[in-house]
Amino acid sequence: MNSVIPVLDPASPQAEAIHNLFLLVLLISAVIFAIVAGLILIAISRGRQRQTLPEQDFGSEKSEIFWMIGPVIIVIWLVAISANLIITLNAIPQADPDGKTDINEIDLIVTGHQWWWEVKYPKSGVITANEIYIPADKTKKFRVKVTSADVIHCFWVPQLGRKIDAIPGRDNYIWLQASEPGSYQGRCSEYCGAQHAWMNFKVYAVTDAEFDQWVASEQLANKQPKLLSPLANSGKQFFFQATCPQCHTIYGTPAEATIGPDLTHFAHRKEIGAGVIENTPENLALWLKDPQALKPGCKMPDFKLSDEHLKQLVAYLETLK
Amino acid sequence: MTTGSIEQSERTSLEPPVTSTLLLDWVSTLDHKRIGIMYILTAMFYLAIGGFEALLMRIQLSMPNNTFLSPEMFNQLFTMHGTTMVFLVGMPVLTGFANYFVPLMVGARDVAFPRLNAFGFWMLFFGGLLLHFSFLTGSAPNAGWFSYVPLSSKAYSSLQGVDYWIIGLLIMGVGSVSGAINIFATIICLRAPGMSLQRVPLFVWMMLMQSILIILALPALNSALAMLLIDRWLGSAFFDPTRGGSAVLWQHYFWIFGHPEVYILILPAFGMISEVIPVFSRKPIYGYTFVAASSVAIVLLGYGVWAHHMFAVGLGMYADIFFAVGSLLIAIPTGIKVFNWTATLWGGEIKFNTSMHFAIAFLLQFVIGGLTGIMFAAVPIDWQLTDTYFVVAHFHYVLIGGTVFALFSAAYFWFPKMSGRMLSERWGILHFWLWVLGFNMTFMVQHFLGMMGMPRRVYTYADNPGWALLNGISSLGAVFMAIGTLVFLWNIGTSLLRGKIAGDNPWDAFTLEWATTSPPPPENFTVIPEIKSRRPVWDLNHPENADWKIEKTPVDRGIRPNLPKLAAWAFIASEAVFFLLLLIAYVVFNTRSGEGVTSSVLDVTRTGIFSLFLISSSVTFWIAERFLRAGKQSAFVLTLGLTILLGITFLAGQAWEYTGLLTNNITINTNLFSATFFTVTGFHGIHVTAGVIALFVMLMMGIKGNLTADKSHVFGAVGVYWHFVDVVWLAVFGIIYLGLLQ
Amino acid sequence: MSSYFDLTSGLWKWSSPVWLLVLSLVGLYIIFHHRALGKRSVFFVLAMLALALAYVSPIGVLSDGYLFSAHVIQHLILLLIVPLFLLLSLSESAAETLFRQPSLNRLGHVMAVPFVGWLSGLGVMWFWHVPSFCNASTVNYSLGIFRDATFILAGLAFWWPIFSPLKRFHLSASLSVIYLFSACLGCTLLGIYITFTVISVCPAFANPVDRLGIMHFLYDQGMTPATDQRLGGLLMWVPPCSLYVCAIMVVLKRWYAEMDYLNSPKTAGATSSLREAQS
Repeated sequence: MNSVIPVLDPASPQAEAIHNLFLLVLLISAVIFAIVAGLILIAISRGRQRQTLPEQDFGSEKSEIFWMIGPVIIVIWLVAISANLIITLNAIPQADPDGKTDINEIDLIVTGHQWWWEVKYPKSGVITANEIYIPADKTKKFRVKVTSADVIHCFWVPQLGRKIDAIPGRDNYIWLQASEPGSYQGRCSEYCGAQHAWMNFKVYAVTDAEFDQWVASEQLANKQPKLLSPLANSGKQFFFQATCPQCHTIYGTPAEATIGPDLTHFAHRKEIGAGVIENTPENLALWLKDPQALKPGCKMPDFKLSDEHLKQLVAYLETLK
Repeated sequence: MTTGSIEQSERTSLEPPVTSTLLLDWVSTLDHKRIGIMYILTAMFYLAIGGFEALLMRIQLSMPNNTFLSPEMFNQLFTMHGTTMVFLVGMPVLTGFANYFVPLMVGARDVAFPRLNAFGFWMLFFGGLLLHFSFLTGSAPNAGWFSYVPLSSKAYSSLQGVDYWIIGLLIMGVGSVSGAINIFATIICLRAPGMSLQRVPLFVWMMLMQSILIILALPALNSALAMLLIDRWLGSAFFDPTRGGSAVLWQHYFWIFGHPEVYILILPAFGMISEVIPVFSRKPIYGYTFVAASSVAIVLLGYGVWAHHMFAVGLGMYADIFFAVGSLLIAIPTGIKVFNWTATLWGGEIKFNTSMHFAIAFLLQFVIGGLTGIMFAAVPIDWQLTDTYFVVAHFHYVLIGGTVFALFSAAYFWFPKMSGRMLSERWGILHFWLWVLGFNMTFMVQHFLGMMGMPRRVYTYADNPGWALLNGISSLGAVFMAIGTLVFLWNIGTSLLRGKIAGDNPWDAFTLEWATTSPPPPENFTVIPEIKSRRPVWDLNHPENADWKIEKTPVDRGIRPNLPKLAAWAFIASEAVFFLLLLIAYVVFNTRSGEGVTSSVLDVTRTGIFSLFLISSSVTFWIAERFLRAGKQSAFVLTLGLTILLGITFLAGQAWEYTGLLTNNITINTNLFSATFFTVTGFHGIHVTAGVIALFVMLMMGIKGNLTADKSHVFGAVGVYWHFVDVVWLAVFGIIYLGLLQ
Repeated sequence: MSSYFDLTSGLWKWSSPVWLLVLSLVGLYIIFHHRALGKRSVFFVLAMLALALAYVSPIGVLSDGYLFSAHVIQHLILLLIVPLFLLLSLSESAAETLFRQPSLNRLGHVMAVPFVGWLSGLGVMWFWHVPSFCNASTVNYSLGIFRDATFILAGLAFWWPIFSPLKRFHLSASLSVIYLFSACLGCTLLGIYITFTVISVCPAFANPVDRLGIMHFLYDQGMTPATDQRLGGLLMWVPPCSLYVCAIMVVLKRWYAEMDYLNSPKTAGATSSLREAQS
């Protein structure tokens, strides 16, 4: 599952490269610190015992330049390896010879919203929220386009590599790739307002077969059973009577708004409210009862639903598989 | 080149003539030492507020899923904590020390412009009050201390918090720039005879560098704030991506100011450390020229590295590489300094008192902060760790571990000079250990929190393994620092009442401030010792080992530029940056294929003719200046009157143009062209108006006969401004009306 | 497909006419410095080496219509490196004899006016990167030679107020710092423009004529025209600014070592009047 120190536990080639650079720089830093601290401590312990006026030494150009050599070499070397890594990790689509970018190369579009993530697979048309499925594959990279619908957010999965800002009016690109199957915690890393703390998401790296299966299940326009239970059915009616469709989409129904997360396959999801709580029927009821209590300031208001309506809505939403 | 003797003789009459109460005495004071102390006290007051805000945040974060603070409250607190600590603690306390000690260290009687000095302080004071007044409205600013758009735009921050933030910063900015011009002019023009610029104490040198940074960096913030304010109040779209604006431009402008701001906060700390370490090592600073020159390098490079705060923005790999190179290069001059401080300690006779304790802690902690800084300059590491608690740890190591520890060191070093009494060493050492322990507890663990994936500025977090423990340790450390601060205040209080009497030079220190009494008399010095080296007081007390016998330094050639003119030049340098950035914004927004209104609606010929009026006013001004110097008073008044008329004609032309546009329904919120056009020309118009008013004052003085040939340099200073306004108009005309860069 | 070795041999142009210039400069240098070929002649050797390499090495060959970035490197060598080393290689005494002539002395003073050097240094850089001029000078051989000559002359003018062999032509320290820092600003703006503009600054490099058959090789290495131009912009930006900052450091070093007017009467007078004003 999730790693305790994800930055030190990379799970993709990109993250691994950054991690190696980090360890190297950390090592150099430790050596430099040890040298400086050692010299200072020696100077002090000696100097405290000295009782005579020391030689008035104004410094020498030679020793300054001598001590500068080391830092200069380190700086040049750091520039070289950082530049190399910057170029390797670059994910901006290359221009074709005719000068147009190839849109098909984008595998995934992630859009930040206050305070959740919209996830779109342009090739298969799948749309979901706060959960990203990718095939776990050392050789296959997903090119992700990251953007924002409102303020600046930042897309960050520590174990899988670099973060990138989601900026309104601007498209950014990164590679997303996982070497091993597993779930990887992601977070918004740029302050974006009241609920910046709860703008989490997860990347699930699965086998190729599982991935294809997942895509297929998400692609089907809501295989809801033809026969809803009476409770769920009244929940459905309530959903469309109430203001729910003004913010949410359920594919194949009149609900087509995109202000809140797409609910077409809501029951597939593992968490509610961008990581606030697990997606269980009890928690869902808790959430619907008062979203503001769980996630104060979030865009979903407290509708003051009656217990009956709550039960009906939960029953309906649980059918959205 | 005059010698500044006129200014000196004028200053004696500036003491308030009223016999008054103690409070009025302080409020109306023009004495640089009192203003310095008021700066320091203000900073300490806000330190208490900012520290209290930090404590509240640490209580909230001490446990997972804590509900001690609401998210709104938490967001207001960290915004105000950052803003307060940077603008109301860091800058004022450094300005305060500079105010107190720069004139003493260069052997001057006061700062260059005592009234401007008081003005700067009160601007800061009231700007800070206004900023904190926002708490009473129920919505303090909550968009973070760098207030990224669009979060800080009207659409996402509809309450007045951000407006208070903008206005507060603009007012404090005026205070900071006037303070910086004052320090700059004091160092350049008022040094005692014999003190060449190559001989000033390193603290003075660093303050010179800092004042240059403030003068040239703050206008970048002001231009961004002006645009944000126009967005919020007048509905323009500079930063609104949905209407063609740019969310990234704000970040560029903010960090063009924001990165130099880091050096504004750390360079004076370098200076303090460079004073303390030599004195308590009983040696001169090792490699003075390298310490001084490396700070010049830092200042220069400091302007070219702003985008290393933006590596996560996705500026593209070329920009990333460039800014990585620049940022890593800064490591070299910084490393030189650390080397020189260590070499100064090496072989010294160390007096390991409280001041030295803090200085050594500064060195070690600053090295840690610097090394994590290098990590962030290696871009891919930044891509992982920026905007996490790792970066919080990094900049607190620089700003607390560095600046604050240096300030404590300086406080123990200079308190005897300021009060005449010594601070208690026993309380001091307790204060030191509480802070070292508390500081490292609070911020060392935050490195690990960052690596564990904790983003900064989250009001709470889930109970992830390890997070609760480390956050708990971090919060506990903050308590230690709070107690340490109380110990420090107690130490100050008791020492003021019954501390040991210090005498003139308790440390056998080196620089001029120790050549006068403690505390210094209002006129600072009765006799200034002969200055033949960088350590005049050392030379005085140790004639057998006098520096000038060993180390030759460039002799003072006695060149002291004319004060008003120098100040005018510094001021217009600041203004030039402001207009440059506004013009760049114009070019950025108008090179894109514009829809709707473009510069084609402007009547180039008509404005061209009115431009000629403005340009010719520069010529008439020049003639007027000649007449003044020649003593032809009536000709002077006539040409000056003509200059004013020409300026007013230009303004009338601008009013005509504005009326035409407005009647055609082209207003500042029409589109990006109109927004940039009205902003650039509007600010220029305001400057012309201010110039006309200044000229009018000159005219009145001329008519009354108060402005005579011997005061022509004051008139010349106004001229520098007036010509500058005209030059700016040439650039505006070329870029906007003639479309030169499109 | 040609092999790498074939390529590298084609990338050197030993028959470049630049040797004529190098030879004549060496001749001139020996005539003027025949008495004192000291340490300074190392700079001269470096200058000649840089000058020759700018044309003979792959930099010269690739900048001839292939790579914009190589073309930028060539510019920088001609504008910044060669003139700088040339000035440093002149000894004060030899220059003194030369500049004792009134006409040359006047020229030296004109070149010491900061605006002249600043405008010519920055001016050529901006001027030759206006798309049409850049293109024309790459396509037209004689115009190219003229351009290169302006680079060297402008470079001499640019460095003159800072590194001229005669101290009387030097700018004061504070002005030098402003001079160099603002030049850095100019380079930065040009570099930003070249790096981020969408148009091709020098269209000749966008569609190169493949004389040597190395185009595929370059493209395989990732040097597409867009990458090439951005790299060029970056080169226009980072190396000159680094050089200027280094020059500022040299100026400061000089300033801190300024000790040669200890006993001038003017200084004493000014100091005493200041002393009166203070006390």
